[in-house]
Amino acid sequence: MTLTGAERIANILRRKPVDRIGLFEHFWGDTQKKWAREGHLKEGESLADHFGFDIETGGWFNMTANLDFEPVVVEETEDTVLTRDGNGALLRRHKRHDATPEHVDFLVKDRAGWEEHIKPVLRPDRRRTDFTAYREARRHAAGAQRFFCWGGTNVFELMHPVCGHEYMLMGMAVDPGWVKEMVGTYADLIIEMMEMLFGEEGWPDGIWFYEDMGFKGRPFMSAEMYREIIQPGHRKTIDYVKSRGVPVIMHSCGYVEPLVPGMLEAGIDCLQVIEVKAGMDLVKLYRDFGDRLSFMGGMDVRVLYTNDTSRIDAELRAKIPVVKANYGYVLHSDHSIPDQVEYESYRYFTRKGLELGSYNGR
Amino acid sequence: MSEELLQQLAVCVERGKVNQASPYPPDMKGQDGADELTRKALDQGVSPNDVLEKALIIGMGNIGKKFSANQVFVPDVLMAAKAMTAAMGHLKPFLDSGQVKTRGTFVIGTVQGDLHDIGKNLVCMVMEGGGWKVVDLGVDVSPEKFLAAVQANPGAAVGLSALLTTTMVNMEKTVKLIKGEVPGTKVVVGGAPLTQEFATKIGADAYSPDPQGALDYLNINVAA
Repeated sequence: MTLTGAERIANILRRKPVDRIGLFEHFWGDTQKKWAREGHLKEGESLADHFGFDIETGGWFNMTANLDFEPVVVEETEDTVLTRDGNGALLRRHKRHDATPEHVDFLVKDRAGWEEHIKPVLRPDRRRTDFTAYREARRHAAGAQRFFCWGGTNVFELMHPVCGHEYMLMGMAVDPGWVKEMVGTYADLIIEMMEMLFGEEGWPDGIWFYEDMGFKGRPFMSAEMYREIIQPGHRKTIDYVKSRGVPVIMHSCGYVEPLVPGMLEAGIDCLQVIEVKAGMDLVKLYRDFGDRLSFMGGMDVRVLYTNDTSRIDAELRAKIPVVKANYGYVLHSDHSIPDQVEYESYRYFTRKGLELGSYNGR
Repeated sequence: MSEELLQQLAVCVERGKVNQASPYPPDMKGQDGADELTRKALDQGVSPNDVLEKALIIGMGNIGKKFSANQVFVPDVLMAAKAMTAAMGHLKPFLDSGQVKTRGTFVIGTVQGDLHDIGKNLVCMVMEGGGWKVVDLGVDVSPEKFLAAVQANPGAAVGLSALLTTTMVNMEKTVKLIKGEVPGTKVVVGGAPLTQEFATKIGADAYSPDPQGALDYLNINVAA
Protein backbone atom coordinates (compact mmCIF):
# COMPACT_ATOMS: atom_id res chain seq x y z
CA MET A 1 0.00 0.00 0.00
CA THR A 2 1.38 3.40 -0.94
CA LEU A 3 -0.73 6.36 0.03
CA THR A 4 -0.66 9.95 -1.18
CA GLY A 5 0.28 12.58 1.37
CA ALA A 6 -3.35 13.65 1.60
CA GLU A 7 -4.55 10.11 2.27
CA ARG A 8 -1.73 9.40 4.71
CA ILE A 9 -2.30 12.47 6.90
CA ALA A 10 -6.09 12.04 6.80
CA ASN A 11 -5.59 8.54 8.21
CA ILE A 12 -2.90 9.56 10.71
CA LEU A 13 -5.19 12.20 12.19
CA ARG A 14 -7.78 9.45 12.78
CA ARG A 15 -5.13 6.86 13.78
CA LYS A 16 -6.08 4.57 10.91
CA PRO A 17 -3.60 2.27 9.12
CA VAL A 18 -1.06 3.91 6.81
CA ASP A 19 2.04 2.83 4.88
CA ARG A 20 4.42 5.01 6.91
CA ILE A 21 4.46 7.82 9.44
CA GLY A 22 3.87 11.30 8.02
CA LEU A 23 6.50 13.91 7.22
CA PHE A 24 6.42 17.65 7.62
CA GLU A 25 8.71 20.41 8.88
CA HIS A 26 9.14 24.11 9.56
CA PHE A 27 12.42 25.88 8.79
CA TRP A 28 14.04 29.16 9.71
CA GLY A 29 14.22 31.50 6.71
CA ASP A 30 18.00 31.59 7.12
CA THR A 31 18.19 27.80 6.82
CA GLN A 32 16.55 27.78 3.42
CA LYS A 33 18.85 30.62 2.27
CA LYS A 34 21.95 28.81 3.51
CA TRP A 35 21.02 25.51 1.90
CA ALA A 36 20.25 27.33 -1.36
CA ARG A 37 23.65 29.09 -1.20
CA GLU A 38 25.29 25.71 -0.70
CA GLY A 39 23.57 24.42 -3.83
CA HIS A 40 21.21 21.96 -2.16
CA LEU A 41 18.05 23.83 -3.14
CA LYS A 42 17.19 25.53 -6.40
CA GLU A 43 16.20 29.19 -6.41
CA GLY A 44 12.62 29.45 -5.11
CA GLU A 45 12.23 25.67 -4.86
CA SER A 46 9.42 24.51 -2.60
CA LEU A 47 10.70 22.69 0.50
CA ALA A 48 7.58 20.52 0.41
CA ASP A 49 8.48 19.42 -3.13
CA HIS A 50 12.16 19.01 -2.33
CA PHE A 51 11.72 16.87 0.77
CA GLY A 52 8.45 15.19 -0.22
CA PHE A 53 6.36 16.50 2.66
CA ASP A 54 2.85 15.19 3.19
CA ILE A 55 1.39 18.53 4.23
CA GLU A 56 1.14 22.02 2.81
CA THR A 57 -0.25 25.00 4.65
CA GLY A 58 -1.76 28.27 3.53
CA GLY A 59 -4.25 30.88 4.54
CA TRP A 60 -3.89 32.99 7.68
CA PHE A 61 -6.24 35.78 8.67
CA ASN A 62 -5.11 39.30 9.40
CA MET A 63 -6.76 39.82 12.78
CA THR A 64 -5.33 43.29 13.42
CA ALA A 65 -8.23 45.10 15.01
CA ASN A 66 -8.29 48.30 13.00
CA LEU A 67 -7.50 47.56 9.37
CA ASP A 68 -7.77 51.23 8.43
CA PHE A 69 -5.17 52.37 10.95
CA GLU A 70 -1.94 53.54 9.36
CA PRO A 71 1.00 52.70 11.65
CA VAL A 72 2.35 55.85 13.32
CA VAL A 73 6.07 56.28 13.95
CA VAL A 74 6.42 57.38 17.57
CA GLU A 75 10.21 57.36 17.82
CA GLU A 76 13.08 56.54 15.52
CA THR A 77 16.74 55.96 16.37
CA GLU A 78 19.71 54.82 14.34
CA ASP A 79 18.87 51.18 15.06
CA THR A 80 15.17 50.99 15.82
CA VAL A 81 11.80 52.40 14.94
CA LEU A 82 8.92 52.52 17.39
CA THR A 83 5.42 52.42 15.88
CA ARG A 84 1.83 52.21 17.10
CA ASP A 85 -0.10 49.54 15.17
CA GLY A 86 -3.74 48.82 14.43
CA ASN A 87 -4.03 46.82 17.65
CA GLY A 88 -3.02 49.88 19.68
CA ALA A 89 0.30 48.21 20.49
CA LEU A 90 3.62 50.03 20.51
CA LEU A 91 6.11 47.89 18.63
CA ARG A 92 9.85 48.36 18.38
CA ARG A 93 11.42 46.97 15.22
CA HIS A 94 15.08 46.73 14.38
CA LYS A 95 16.19 48.34 11.15
CA ARG A 96 19.34 46.28 10.68
CA HIS A 97 18.01 42.78 11.15
CA ASP A 98 14.79 40.91 10.60
CA ALA A 99 13.27 39.85 13.92
CA THR A 100 10.00 39.65 15.79
CA PRO A 101 9.12 43.14 17.03
CA GLU A 102 9.33 43.93 20.72
CA HIS A 103 5.97 44.81 22.29
CA VAL A 104 6.63 47.93 24.30
CA ASP A 105 3.19 49.09 25.47
CA PHE A 106 -0.51 48.63 24.83
CA LEU A 107 -3.58 50.85 24.74
CA VAL A 108 -5.54 47.89 26.07
CA LYS A 109 -4.71 47.04 29.66
CA ASP A 110 -8.19 46.16 30.89
CA ARG A 111 -11.82 45.77 29.89
CA ALA A 112 -12.34 49.50 29.33
CA GLY A 113 -9.44 49.69 26.85
CA TRP A 114 -10.70 46.62 25.02
CA GLU A 115 -14.22 48.04 24.74
CA GLU A 116 -12.98 51.43 23.60
CA HIS A 117 -10.22 50.53 21.15
CA ILE A 118 -10.63 46.98 19.89
CA LYS A 119 -14.06 45.44 20.15
CA PRO A 120 -15.88 48.02 17.98
CA VAL A 121 -13.54 47.46 15.03
CA LEU A 122 -13.19 43.67 15.15
CA ARG A 123 -15.48 42.88 12.26
CA PRO A 124 -15.31 40.33 9.47
CA ASP A 125 -13.78 41.94 6.42
CA ARG A 126 -12.60 40.60 3.07
CA ARG A 127 -9.30 42.42 3.60
CA ARG A 128 -8.52 40.07 6.46
CA THR A 129 -7.55 37.27 4.10
CA ASP A 130 -5.96 36.74 0.73
CA PHE A 131 -8.44 34.75 -1.31
CA THR A 132 -6.09 34.34 -4.27
CA ALA A 133 -3.17 33.07 -2.19
CA TYR A 134 -5.43 30.58 -0.42
CA ARG A 135 -6.84 29.36 -3.73
CA GLU A 136 -3.38 28.91 -5.24
CA ALA A 137 -1.95 27.16 -2.18
CA ARG A 138 -4.91 24.81 -2.06
CA ARG A 139 -4.59 24.08 -5.78
CA HIS A 140 -0.83 23.44 -5.48
CA ALA A 141 -1.35 21.03 -2.59
CA ALA A 142 -4.08 19.19 -4.49
CA GLY A 143 -1.80 18.90 -7.53
CA ALA A 144 0.91 17.36 -5.38
CA GLN A 145 -1.67 15.17 -3.59
CA ARG A 146 -0.69 16.69 -0.25
CA PHE A 147 -2.88 17.27 2.77
CA PHE A 148 -3.77 20.96 2.70
CA CYS A 149 -4.16 22.82 5.99
CA TRP A 150 -5.44 26.32 6.49
CA GLY A 151 -3.17 27.71 9.21
CA GLY A 152 -3.92 30.54 11.60
CA THR A 153 -4.02 31.63 15.20
CA ASN A 154 -6.76 30.90 17.69
CA VAL A 155 -7.98 32.95 20.64
CA PHE A 156 -4.96 32.82 22.98
CA GLU A 157 -2.55 33.99 20.29
CA LEU A 158 -5.01 36.65 19.13
CA MET A 159 -5.40 38.35 22.50
CA HIS A 160 -1.81 39.06 23.45
CA PRO A 161 -0.98 41.24 20.42
CA VAL A 162 -3.72 43.54 21.71
CA CYS A 163 -2.91 43.67 25.42
CA GLY A 164 0.34 41.74 25.91
CA HIS A 165 0.85 38.54 27.84
CA GLU A 166 1.09 40.26 31.20
CA TYR A 167 -2.17 42.21 31.04
CA MET A 168 -3.93 39.22 29.51
CA LEU A 169 -2.73 36.85 32.22
CA MET A 170 -3.46 39.34 35.02
CA GLY A 171 -6.87 39.85 33.44
CA MET A 172 -7.49 36.11 33.73
CA ALA A 173 -7.06 36.49 37.47
CA VAL A 174 -8.63 39.88 38.15
CA ASP A 175 -11.36 40.11 35.53
CA PRO A 176 -11.89 36.68 33.96
CA GLY A 177 -15.18 37.91 32.50
CA TRP A 178 -13.26 40.41 30.35
CA VAL A 179 -10.85 37.79 29.01
CA LYS A 180 -13.76 35.41 28.38
CA GLU A 181 -15.41 38.14 26.37
CA MET A 182 -12.26 38.63 24.29
CA VAL A 183 -12.10 34.86 23.76
CA GLY A 184 -15.73 34.79 22.62
CA THR A 185 -15.30 37.77 20.31
CA TYR A 186 -12.24 36.32 18.60
CA ALA A 187 -13.82 32.85 18.33
CA ASP A 188 -16.83 34.38 16.56
CA LEU A 189 -14.58 36.37 14.24
CA ILE A 190 -12.52 33.28 13.33
CA ILE A 191 -15.74 31.44 12.43
CA GLU A 192 -17.12 34.37 10.43
CA MET A 193 -13.88 34.65 8.48
CA MET A 194 -13.80 30.91 7.83
CA GLU A 195 -17.34 31.07 6.53
CA MET A 196 -16.32 33.91 4.23
CA LEU A 197 -13.15 32.27 2.89
CA PHE A 198 -14.12 28.61 2.78
CA GLY A 199 -17.67 29.39 1.60
CA GLU A 200 -16.16 31.00 -1.48
CA GLU A 201 -13.01 28.95 -2.06
CA GLY A 202 -13.78 25.58 -0.54
CA TRP A 203 -12.67 23.94 2.69
CA PRO A 204 -9.12 22.74 3.31
CA ASP A 205 -8.35 19.14 4.30
CA GLY A 206 -7.43 20.24 7.83
CA ILE A 207 -7.23 23.24 10.12
CA TRP A 208 -4.01 24.11 11.89
CA PHE A 209 -4.41 26.42 14.88
CA TYR A 210 -1.33 28.05 16.40
CA GLU A 211 -1.63 28.62 20.16
CA ASP A 212 1.57 29.12 22.16
CA MET A 213 0.26 28.42 25.65
CA GLY A 214 3.37 27.35 27.50
CA PHE A 215 6.98 28.14 28.19
CA LYS A 216 9.79 26.27 29.87
CA GLY A 217 8.49 23.73 32.35
CA ARG A 218 4.97 25.12 32.71
CA PRO A 219 1.95 26.43 30.87
CA PHE A 220 1.06 30.12 31.15
CA MET A 221 -2.07 29.17 33.08
CA SER A 222 -3.40 26.34 35.20
CA ALA A 223 -5.49 23.58 33.65
CA GLU A 224 -8.49 24.96 35.55
CA MET A 225 -7.95 28.44 34.14
CA TYR A 226 -7.59 26.96 30.65
CA ARG A 227 -10.88 25.12 30.99
CA GLU A 228 -12.72 28.12 32.39
CA ILE A 229 -11.42 30.86 30.11
CA ILE A 230 -9.70 29.62 26.94
CA GLN A 231 -11.32 26.27 26.26
CA PRO A 232 -14.75 27.74 25.40
CA GLY A 233 -13.14 29.57 22.47
CA HIS A 234 -11.27 26.46 21.35
CA ARG A 235 -14.39 24.35 21.69
CA LYS A 236 -16.50 26.81 19.70
CA THR A 237 -14.08 27.14 16.79
CA ILE A 238 -13.21 23.43 16.73
CA ASP A 239 -16.88 22.40 16.93
CA TYR A 240 -17.53 24.60 13.91
CA VAL A 241 -14.64 23.11 11.93
CA LYS A 242 -15.51 19.55 12.87
CA SER A 243 -19.16 20.06 11.95
CA ARG A 244 -17.75 20.09 8.40
CA GLY A 245 -15.86 16.86 9.04
CA VAL A 246 -12.49 18.63 8.99
CA PRO A 247 -9.79 17.59 11.51
CA VAL A 248 -7.85 20.02 13.72
CA ILE A 249 -4.14 20.16 14.47
CA MET A 250 -3.17 22.43 17.35
CA HIS A 251 0.33 23.82 17.72
CA SER A 252 1.72 24.97 20.99
CA CYS A 253 5.25 25.83 21.92
CA GLY A 254 6.31 25.34 25.52
CA TYR A 255 5.28 22.87 28.17
CA VAL A 256 1.54 22.32 27.84
CA GLU A 257 1.13 18.73 29.03
CA PRO A 258 -1.21 19.75 31.91
CA LEU A 259 -3.49 21.40 29.33
CA VAL A 260 -3.70 18.40 27.00
CA PRO A 261 -6.78 16.80 28.63
CA GLY A 262 -8.62 20.10 28.23
CA MET A 263 -7.44 20.48 24.64
CA LEU A 264 -8.73 16.96 23.92
CA GLU A 265 -12.09 17.90 25.42
CA ALA A 266 -12.11 20.90 23.09
CA GLY A 267 -11.77 18.45 20.19
CA ILE A 268 -8.22 18.60 18.83
CA ASP A 269 -7.11 15.63 16.71
CA CYS A 270 -3.36 16.23 16.74
CA LEU A 271 -0.91 18.02 19.04
CA GLN A 272 2.10 19.73 17.48
CA VAL A 273 5.05 20.64 18.21
CA ILE A 274 5.96 18.95 21.53
CA GLU A 275 8.97 21.05 22.49
CA VAL A 276 11.50 18.85 24.25
CA LYS A 277 13.62 21.70 25.59
CA ALA A 278 10.54 23.08 27.35
CA GLY A 279 9.99 19.73 29.06
CA MET A 280 7.55 17.97 26.70
CA ASP A 281 8.04 14.23 26.36
CA LEU A 282 6.65 12.65 23.19
CA VAL A 283 6.80 9.07 24.44
CA LYS A 284 5.06 9.92 27.71
CA LEU A 285 2.37 11.86 25.85
CA TYR A 286 1.88 8.92 23.51
CA ARG A 287 1.50 6.53 26.44
CA ASP A 288 -0.98 8.83 28.20
CA PHE A 289 -3.03 10.05 25.24
CA GLY A 290 -1.99 8.05 22.16
CA ASP A 291 -5.30 6.22 21.93
CA ARG A 292 -7.15 9.53 21.52
CA LEU A 293 -4.64 11.93 20.04
CA SER A 294 -2.18 12.03 17.15
CA PHE A 295 1.17 13.79 17.42
CA MET A 296 3.49 15.79 15.20
CA GLY A 297 6.97 16.77 16.36
CA GLY A 298 8.77 15.98 19.59
CA MET A 299 12.17 15.27 18.00
CA ASP A 300 14.77 17.31 19.88
CA VAL A 301 16.19 19.82 17.42
CA ARG A 302 19.22 20.30 19.69
CA VAL A 303 20.20 16.79 18.66
CA LEU A 304 19.87 17.70 14.99
CA TYR A 305 22.20 20.62 15.25
CA THR A 306 24.96 18.51 16.71
CA ASN A 307 25.02 17.22 13.11
CA ASP A 308 26.07 13.89 14.64
CA THR A 309 24.25 11.10 12.81
CA SER A 310 24.73 8.63 15.66
CA ARG A 311 22.92 11.01 18.03
CA ILE A 312 20.19 11.70 15.47
CA ASP A 313 19.84 7.96 15.01
CA ALA A 314 19.50 7.44 18.77
CA GLU A 315 16.84 10.16 19.05
CA LEU A 316 14.78 8.59 16.25
CA ARG A 317 15.19 5.02 17.54
CA ALA A 318 14.15 6.01 21.05
CA LYS A 319 10.88 7.52 19.91
CA ILE A 320 9.57 6.36 16.54
CA PRO A 321 9.13 2.64 17.25
CA VAL A 322 6.98 3.59 20.25
CA VAL A 323 4.90 6.43 18.87
CA LYS A 324 4.17 4.87 15.47
CA ALA A 325 2.22 2.01 17.04
CA ASN A 326 -1.22 3.62 16.76
CA TYR A 327 -0.59 5.06 13.26
CA GLY A 328 -0.89 8.55 14.73
CA TYR A 329 2.51 10.19 14.19
CA VAL A 330 4.00 12.78 11.82
CA LEU A 331 7.78 13.22 11.86
CA HIS A 332 8.74 16.82 12.65
CA SER A 333 11.35 18.48 14.87
CA ASP A 334 10.23 19.87 18.22
CA HIS A 335 10.08 23.40 16.78
CA SER A 336 11.82 24.25 13.52
CA ILE A 337 15.14 23.72 11.78
CA PRO A 338 17.71 26.48 12.39
CA ASP A 339 20.64 27.08 10.07
CA GLN A 340 23.08 25.25 12.37
CA VAL A 341 21.55 22.05 11.01
CA GLU A 342 23.46 20.88 7.96
CA TYR A 343 21.48 19.85 4.92
CA GLU A 344 22.90 16.33 5.07
CA SER A 345 21.92 16.00 8.75
CA TYR A 346 18.34 16.91 7.96
CA ARG A 347 18.36 14.53 4.99
CA TYR A 348 19.60 11.77 7.29
CA PHE A 349 16.90 12.64 9.85
CA THR A 350 14.08 12.24 7.32
CA ARG A 351 15.54 9.17 5.59
CA LYS A 352 16.17 7.32 8.82
CA GLY A 353 12.95 8.55 10.41
CA LEU A 354 10.81 7.31 7.55
CA GLU A 355 12.69 4.03 7.47
CA LEU A 356 11.90 3.49 11.14
CA GLY A 357 8.38 4.77 10.55
CA SER A 358 7.52 2.35 7.78
CA TYR A 359 4.70 -0.14 8.31
CA ASN A 360 5.69 -2.37 5.39
CA GLY A 361 6.19 -5.90 6.59
CA ARG A 362 4.33 -5.21 9.79
CA MET B 1 0.15 43.77 66.89
CA SER B 2 2.79 44.74 64.35
CA GLU B 3 3.72 41.07 63.86
CA GLU B 4 0.11 40.31 62.98
CA LEU B 5 0.01 43.24 60.57
CA LEU B 6 3.20 42.10 58.88
CA GLN B 7 1.80 38.58 58.55
CA GLN B 8 -1.35 40.00 56.94
CA LEU B 9 0.80 42.04 54.59
CA ALA B 10 2.83 38.98 53.62
CA VAL B 11 -0.41 37.16 52.82
CA CYS B 12 -1.62 40.08 50.70
CA VAL B 13 1.57 40.00 48.64
CA GLU B 14 1.48 36.23 48.26
CA ARG B 15 -2.19 36.21 47.27
CA GLY B 16 -1.87 39.25 45.00
CA LYS B 17 -4.22 41.47 46.99
CA VAL B 18 -3.14 44.88 45.70
CA ASN B 19 -5.51 47.22 47.52
CA GLN B 20 -8.97 47.40 49.01
CA ALA B 21 -10.60 48.22 45.67
CA SER B 22 -9.11 45.21 43.91
CA PRO B 23 -11.63 42.40 43.35
CA TYR B 24 -8.79 39.85 43.38
CA PRO B 25 -8.57 37.38 44.98
CA PRO B 26 -12.34 36.96 45.25
CA ASP B 27 -12.20 35.60 48.81
CA MET B 28 -10.42 38.79 49.99
CA LYS B 29 -12.79 41.23 48.29
CA GLY B 30 -13.31 44.41 50.32
CA GLN B 31 -10.34 43.76 52.62
CA ASP B 32 -7.32 46.02 52.90
CA GLY B 33 -4.54 45.10 50.48
CA ALA B 34 -0.77 45.49 50.33
CA ASP B 35 -1.17 49.20 49.64
CA GLU B 36 -3.22 50.02 52.74
CA LEU B 37 -1.42 47.60 55.07
CA THR B 38 2.03 48.92 54.19
CA ARG B 39 0.89 52.47 54.89
CA LYS B 40 -0.69 51.34 58.14
CA ALA B 41 2.44 49.49 59.24
CA LEU B 42 4.66 52.51 58.60
CA ASP B 43 2.16 54.80 60.35
CA GLN B 44 2.24 52.50 63.36
CA GLY B 45 6.00 52.88 63.54
CA VAL B 46 7.08 49.57 62.03
CA SER B 47 10.50 50.12 60.52
CA PRO B 48 10.66 50.12 56.70
CA ASN B 49 13.28 47.40 56.91
CA ASP B 50 10.92 45.17 58.85
CA VAL B 51 8.15 45.84 56.34
CA LEU B 52 10.48 44.73 53.57
CA GLU B 53 12.16 41.80 55.31
CA LYS B 54 9.33 40.44 57.44
CA ALA B 55 6.43 40.91 55.09
CA LEU B 56 7.13 41.73 51.46
CA ILE B 57 10.10 39.41 50.93
CA ILE B 58 8.29 36.64 52.82
CA GLY B 59 5.18 37.00 50.66
CA MET B 60 7.06 37.08 47.36
CA GLY B 61 9.29 34.24 48.53
CA ASN B 62 6.24 32.09 49.22
CA ILE B 63 4.76 32.71 45.78
CA GLY B 64 8.15 32.12 44.12
CA LYS B 65 8.50 28.76 45.85
CA LYS B 66 4.96 27.75 44.88
CA PHE B 67 5.70 28.76 41.28
CA SER B 68 8.82 26.60 41.30
CA ALA B 69 6.72 23.69 42.55
CA ASN B 70 4.06 24.28 39.85
CA GLN B 71 1.49 24.99 42.55
CA VAL B 72 0.69 28.41 41.10
CA PHE B 73 1.00 29.87 37.60
CA VAL B 74 2.06 33.07 35.87
CA PRO B 75 -1.15 35.03 36.63
CA ASP B 76 -0.62 34.40 40.36
CA VAL B 77 2.99 35.62 40.21
CA LEU B 78 1.98 38.70 38.22
CA MET B 79 -0.66 39.62 40.77
CA ALA B 80 1.76 39.07 43.67
CA ALA B 81 4.26 41.33 41.94
CA LYS B 82 1.57 43.96 41.47
CA ALA B 83 0.78 43.85 45.19
CA MET B 84 4.50 44.04 45.95
CA THR B 85 4.84 47.09 43.70
CA ALA B 86 1.98 48.81 45.50
CA ALA B 87 3.71 48.23 48.81
CA MET B 88 7.13 49.27 47.49
CA GLY B 89 5.67 52.63 46.49
CA HIS B 90 5.48 53.45 50.20
CA LEU B 91 9.04 52.26 50.81
CA LYS B 92 10.59 54.18 47.92
CA PRO B 93 11.56 57.26 49.98
CA PHE B 94 13.37 55.00 52.45
CA LEU B 95 15.13 53.12 49.66
CA ASP B 96 16.15 56.41 48.02
CA SER B 97 17.53 57.77 51.30
CA GLY B 98 19.43 54.55 52.02
CA GLN B 99 17.44 53.87 55.19
CA VAL B 100 16.33 50.59 53.65
CA LYS B 101 19.12 48.53 52.16
CA THR B 102 18.59 46.24 49.22
CA ARG B 103 20.35 42.90 49.09
CA GLY B 104 22.33 43.99 46.08
CA THR B 105 21.95 45.06 42.49
CA PHE B 106 20.92 42.69 39.75
CA VAL B 107 21.47 43.66 36.13
CA ILE B 108 19.25 41.65 33.81
CA GLY B 109 18.34 41.50 30.13
CA THR B 110 17.53 39.24 27.21
CA VAL B 111 20.64 38.70 25.12
CA GLN B 112 21.28 40.28 21.74
CA GLY B 113 19.08 39.05 18.90
CA ASP B 114 16.36 37.85 21.23
CA LEU B 115 13.20 39.86 21.86
CA HIS B 116 11.43 37.51 24.26
CA ASP B 117 10.80 39.02 27.64
CA ILE B 118 8.19 37.10 29.63
CA GLY B 119 10.66 34.87 31.45
CA LYS B 120 12.99 37.78 32.08
CA ASN B 121 10.14 39.91 33.44
CA LEU B 122 9.14 37.16 35.86
CA VAL B 123 12.71 36.99 37.14
CA CYS B 124 12.70 40.80 37.60
CA MET B 125 9.53 40.58 39.67
CA VAL B 126 10.78 37.80 41.90
CA MET B 127 14.19 39.47 42.38
CA GLU B 128 12.60 42.81 43.31
CA GLY B 129 10.27 40.94 45.60
CA GLY B 130 13.33 39.30 47.11
CA GLY B 131 14.78 42.65 48.11
CA TRP B 132 17.12 43.26 45.18
CA LYS B 133 17.51 46.44 43.18
CA VAL B 134 16.87 45.40 39.59
CA VAL B 135 18.40 47.15 36.59
CA ASP B 136 16.32 45.85 33.68
CA LEU B 137 18.12 46.43 30.39
CA GLY B 138 15.21 45.05 28.38
CA VAL B 139 15.51 42.80 25.35
CA ASP B 140 18.04 42.43 22.53
CA VAL B 141 20.84 43.67 24.80
CA SER B 142 24.35 43.73 23.39
CA PRO B 143 27.32 42.36 25.39
CA GLU B 144 28.72 45.90 25.54
CA LYS B 145 25.51 47.24 27.06
CA PHE B 146 25.57 44.55 29.73
CA LEU B 147 29.19 45.41 30.49
CA ALA B 148 28.42 49.13 30.75
CA ALA B 149 25.62 48.40 33.24
CA VAL B 150 27.91 46.20 35.34
CA GLN B 151 30.59 48.89 35.36
CA ALA B 152 27.99 51.50 36.34
CA ASN B 153 26.77 49.32 39.22
CA PRO B 154 29.87 48.01 40.99
CA GLY B 155 29.31 44.65 42.64
CA ALA B 156 26.16 43.94 40.67
CA ALA B 157 25.25 40.39 39.72
CA VAL B 158 24.01 39.67 36.21
CA GLY B 159 21.12 37.67 34.78
CA LEU B 160 21.07 36.67 31.10
CA SER B 161 17.97 35.32 29.42
CA ALA B 162 17.58 33.66 26.02
CA LEU B 163 14.68 31.85 24.42
CA LEU B 164 16.09 31.22 20.99
CA THR B 165 18.70 28.55 20.41
CA THR B 166 20.31 30.83 17.86
CA THR B 167 20.96 33.54 20.43
CA MET B 168 22.71 31.27 22.91
CA VAL B 169 25.96 32.13 21.17
CA ASN B 170 25.43 35.78 22.18
CA MET B 171 24.99 34.65 25.75
CA GLU B 172 28.44 33.10 25.62
CA LYS B 173 29.93 36.30 24.19
CA THR B 174 28.29 38.34 26.96
CA VAL B 175 29.55 36.08 29.75
CA LYS B 176 33.09 36.17 28.35
CA LEU B 177 33.09 39.96 28.03
CA ILE B 178 31.77 40.54 31.55
CA LYS B 179 34.07 37.97 33.14
CA GLY B 180 37.02 39.34 31.18
CA GLU B 181 36.44 42.99 32.05
CA VAL B 182 34.96 42.71 35.54
CA PRO B 183 36.28 39.46 37.02
CA GLY B 184 34.33 38.14 39.97
CA THR B 185 30.94 39.25 38.64
CA LYS B 186 28.40 36.51 39.27
CA VAL B 187 26.39 35.62 36.17
CA VAL B 188 23.19 33.56 36.27
CA VAL B 189 21.61 32.32 33.03
CA GLY B 190 18.18 30.98 32.16
CA GLY B 191 15.75 30.39 29.32
CA ALA B 192 14.05 27.63 27.40
CA PRO B 193 16.96 26.17 25.43
CA LEU B 194 19.47 26.32 28.29
CA THR B 195 20.85 23.57 30.45
CA GLN B 196 23.31 23.37 33.35
CA GLU B 197 25.77 21.78 30.93
CA PHE B 198 25.57 24.78 28.60
CA ALA B 199 25.86 27.24 31.50
CA THR B 200 29.01 25.52 32.71
CA LYS B 201 30.45 25.41 29.20
CA ILE B 202 30.10 29.16 28.64
CA GLY B 203 31.51 30.03 32.06
CA ALA B 204 28.32 31.22 33.78
CA ASP B 205 28.23 30.81 37.54
CA ALA B 206 24.76 29.31 37.69
CA TYR B 207 21.83 28.11 35.62
CA SER B 208 18.34 28.43 36.99
CA PRO B 209 15.23 26.89 35.44
CA ASP B 210 12.98 29.33 37.31
CA PRO B 211 13.06 32.78 38.99
CA GLN B 212 13.19 31.45 42.53
CA GLY B 213 16.32 29.43 41.74
CA ALA B 214 18.09 32.61 40.60
CA LEU B 215 17.03 34.44 43.75
CA ASP B 216 18.13 31.60 46.02
CA TYR B 217 21.52 31.38 44.32
CA LEU B 218 22.16 35.11 44.57
CA ASN B 219 20.95 35.35 48.16
CA ILE B 220 23.49 32.72 49.14
CA ASN B 221 26.38 33.73 46.92
CA VAL B 222 26.16 37.49 46.43
CA ALA B 223 23.72 39.23 48.78
CA ALA B 224 25.08 41.84 51.15
